Amino acid sequence: MSDPAPSTIDRPGQVASATPPAPGRSRRLSDRGLAVAFISPALLLLLAMSVFPLLWALYLSFTDYSATRGGPANFVGFGNYTAILTSAQVHLRALTTVIYVVGAVGLQTVLGFTIAYLISRRTHGRGLLTTLFLVPMMLSPVVVGLFWRFMLDAQFGVVNSMLGSLGLGQVEWLTRQRTALISLIVVDTWQWTPFIMLIALAGLTAVPKYLYEAASIDRASEWFRFRTITLPLVWPLLLIAVLFRAIEAFRLFDLVYILTSGGPGVSTETLSFHVYKVAFLGFNTGTASAYGILMVLVVIVLTQLYLRYLNKLKED
Amino acid sequence: MRYSKRTGRLSVPGRKVRLATAAMLLVTMTTAAACSDGQDDGAKASAPKAPATIPELTKDPLTLSFIWFEWPPAQALEAFANEEYKKERPNATIKVNTVPNANWHDAMFTQFAARKTDFDIAILDSQHIGEAVTNGNILDLTDFVKTNIDVKAYNPYLLAAYGQFPQAETGKRDENASLYGLPLLGDTWTMIYRKDLIGDKPPQTWDEMISAAEKCQADNPGVSGLAFHQANGSDAAAVTYNTVNGVYGGNLWDAKTRKIQGVINDPAGQEAMDVLVNKMKPLTAKGSGNWFIDEVNAAVAQGKACIAFNWIAASGGLLDPKQSTLGTTRNQILDKLGFATLPSQKTNLVPLGGMGMHVSAYSSPANQAEALNFMKWFERADVQKKWAAAGGVPSRTDALESPEFLNAGPFNRVYADSVPRMRDMWNVPEYARLVDIENTNVNAALNGAKKPKEALDDIAKEQQSVLDSSSRKGGGGL
Repeated sequence: MSDPAPSTIDRPGQVASATPPAPGRSRRLSDRGLAVAFISPALLLLLAMSVFPLLWALYLSFTDYSATRGGPANFVGFGNYTAILTSAQVHLRALTTVIYVVGAVGLQTVLGFTIAYLISRRTHGRGLLTTLFLVPMMLSPVVVGLFWRFMLDAQFGVVNSMLGSLGLGQVEWLTRQRTALISLIVVDTWQWTPFIMLIALAGLTAVPKYLYEAASIDRASEWFRFRTITLPLVWPLLLIAVLFRAIEAFRLFDLVYILTSGGPGVSTETLSFHVYKVAFLGFNTGTASAYGILMVLVVIVLTQLYLRYLNKLKED
Repeated sequence: MRYSKRTGRLSVPGRKVRLATAAMLLVTMTTAAACSDGQDDGAKASAPKAPATIPELTKDPLTLSFIWFEWPPAQALEAFANEEYKKERPNATIKVNTVPNANWHDAMFTQFAARKTDFDIAILDSQHIGEAVTNGNILDLTDFVKTNIDVKAYNPYLLAAYGQFPQAETGKRDENASLYGLPLLGDTWTMIYRKDLIGDKPPQTWDEMISAAEKCQADNPGVSGLAFHQANGSDAAAVTYNTVNGVYGGNLWDAKTRKIQGVINDPAGQEAMDVLVNKMKPLTAKGSGNWFIDEVNAAVAQGKACIAFNWIAASGGLLDPKQSTLGTTRNQILDKLGFATLPSQKTNLVPLGGMGMHVSAYSSPANQAEALNFMKWFERADVQKKWAAAGGVPSRTDALESPEFLNAGPFNRVYADSVPRMRDMWNVPEYARLVDIENTNVNAALNGAKKPKEALDDIAKEQQSVLDSSSRKGGGGL
């Protein structure tokens, strides 16, 4: 039982503010406790789903553990890391991934910015156009891969059918070394150009109008306005979009799996697809963990360099 | 004031100490978990044994789950089992869960890796047995088979191919070896040929077959001479090469010395690769470099191929007028399509297909008992004949020779005649990686990404490296 609240009548000189909280209030959480209670579910989820698996993978990457073979996880030091970094198979996949990332993100940036620039100049129907352009981005990559696989089929695909009606020959889009990688880049570009477009559009609409008005008064050409006003102001935002897309493209798996299965041969196998094979065909969990950790490190290092460049750009 | 005074930001050293403590705790937890897991796993490194006699079965409702890949025999099995098995066990329901073919191995073995399966019976390809046995994922059925199955009723090689480990030699069974499965569905390749285009008599040799396809393609614009599996997913391109390799007298490996280098790429192997890439591939449709079962069937059903090769168990749909442009009735289609055993050349070997039933080591005791009971029931002579009549390919010799089987489909005679000619791939724990190496390299050769000799030498080198990698410190799987 709680003590009775002191009365001001008993001790008239004492101020009422010294009165301790009412019995009900003492059971309430303090503001800090409340904050912890709100944050802890998300924090626990993050620890369980992200931090713990990452640390677990880091530990496994120094062992020869196999998820199916079981048995003890024997420590192999940096054996997995050195094997990956010196493997010709990995170098080949890294080259494929770099070509893919540069090709896909480069194309998406040019197309996305162009579309955004054209849309930003329209006064009517801008919302509708933007929504229509965003549709591919909303689809699942697996669905996109499946219907592009049908469209690019050499025998009965709609793409070759259209080429045939133009008098052009059949193209083996998915089964030839060069065309298979180009097909992957085209499909990824079809799906993700809207993302770049959206970010670029946000940047373009944020450019102050008075700058263009001032340029008009100075009778600046369209190209001059684009080069000296539009591009410098949108550039940092565009680079952030490029960063996001590059990270996504770097870990491409689904389109490869559906469209080419890495073929012909291994010519469209990306690093992520190779990790999948190492992890699930032979269940070499230790090697796959080291492979994954190295990929994360590459992304982190490149992102840091990129962000430094962005900051420098801002300061300039 | 309602809000209490805000606690100030911790000083930098204080925050660092807290962060370091949290990280250390996590690392400790991780290491402890890893160590305990390793100890648990180490305790069960071999396949647990199934009882010799079937334990008492439950009277409660029970669902017996299978896992297979999506194709017509999966639906046929579920329908057949629910109709027939329920007559004996009304409380049991059969569910055949399916995944796309390319995910089949992963779907089973990722669950095995988790030591918990949502299936009771895994339908494993013969080559998966080694991996599952070595990891202790399926029950050892040796004692159960001795007590409950009439092993003399089977061609010994079929019984060995779908259940024995270590692997059986082609055509033989080691009666002292352990059995881990029982046959579910027999299968091999059939040659499907257009009687209206190349004549009623099928080519007898591989050379004749290529000549007939060449002539047919030249005489019929728009129809390709050949259609066969070339995809780099699953075991598609690998089985194609292995078949030609066998026909031309090659070998995949020397099982006793575990030698692949110098065996698969010997002169016979090189001749087989040359025939496949330089003589057979030019007779296929443009862009067919990613074809597998469905695409080959589609080409035949649409009248776009003179001669095709496909698994017998997947050929039933070819006779369905709804799926074919070759006729409006089954008989009209059969007037145009013929089914024959594969032509021979230096040898008459054909690929062994089909799968066996294997009991998950992680299934509940009640379901394991039901699974054993189902397998005993399924291997009965009368049930095997019913399975044949329902469209399945049985393995018991009496069922294979029964009119129920031979009259059920035009390709069933092909299977019965092919049984003594079968050859399997490697049934070793490293199978998944070996087949991937072969698939990707054969696919590369077929699609011009590698020269045939280069592809074959790469297969030999990479596969040998997989077999020799057990003593390597780190980097396994690359």
